Amino acid sequence: MALKAALLRHVRVPVQTLNPGLSLTLTGAKWGLPSLRWMSSHDDHLSKNEVTERVLSVVKSFPKVDPSTVTPEVHFQKDLGLDSLDNVEIVMALEEEFKLEIPDKEADKIDSTNLAIEYIYNHPMAG
Amino acid sequence: MSGVSTAAYVARRAAQKERVRILYRRALKDTLNWAVHRHLFYQDADALRQRFEANKDVEDLDRIDRLIANAEATYNKWRHPDPYVVPWAPGGSKFHRNPIPPAGIEIVYDYGREDND
Repeated sequence: MALKAALLRHVRVPVQTLNPGLSLTLTGAKWGLPSLRWMSSHDDHLSKNEVTERVLSVVKSFPKVDPSTVTPEVHFQKDLGLDSLDNVEIVMALEEEFKLEIPDKEADKIDSTNLAIEYIYNHPMAG
Repeated sequence: MSGVSTAAYVARRAAQKERVRILYRRALKDTLNWAVHRHLFYQDADALRQRFEANKDVEDLDRIDRLIANAEATYNKWRHPDPYVVPWAPGGSKFHRNPIPPAGIEIVYDYGREDND
């Protein structure tokens, strides 16, 4: 995880050197300073904290879940007492929240908040 | 012998459960395609969920297979002809628009100059 984050940071370095004014907007507010590719989703990537926060808020707002029990390491079926169809519904809610389209076989494997955060954080089009 | 049959049973159950999960996922997405407003979608999604819950306790493997096949046929029959696709995904409105140029291609800023100037 730490290695992946370090790699991602390393990969972005040439982009920042090409466009010095851009480095501020990369991790900052989405609609803040105008960047080189205005209204483009290619240059900004979600931070891990933001992904975690939004995933947890989606899981907490699921009707059958007690919000106080939701943590970043919680397993949907073992810890929250949901069944497999609820799991499908949560993954679909996450797709809508992050404007993603996850292939069926991969979405089927996402069964905990930890996996969901990891998958969405490493997805290039998550927004 | 019984160990082999138990393993076969478990494998077949797992395959059936996966088929049901993926079918439910596709059907739920298709429900959203048909009912584009949330207040319509929630009712339709509840109805869909009830149709899945109705056969929750079936134990007979062959009957489960038949039920899944029937449900998949129904899903295929009522599939939306023009489903919502996330813009960047294949079939979406932004798919392959403005792609990142391949590595090794760069812009040379020498407008108006001939090759041998």
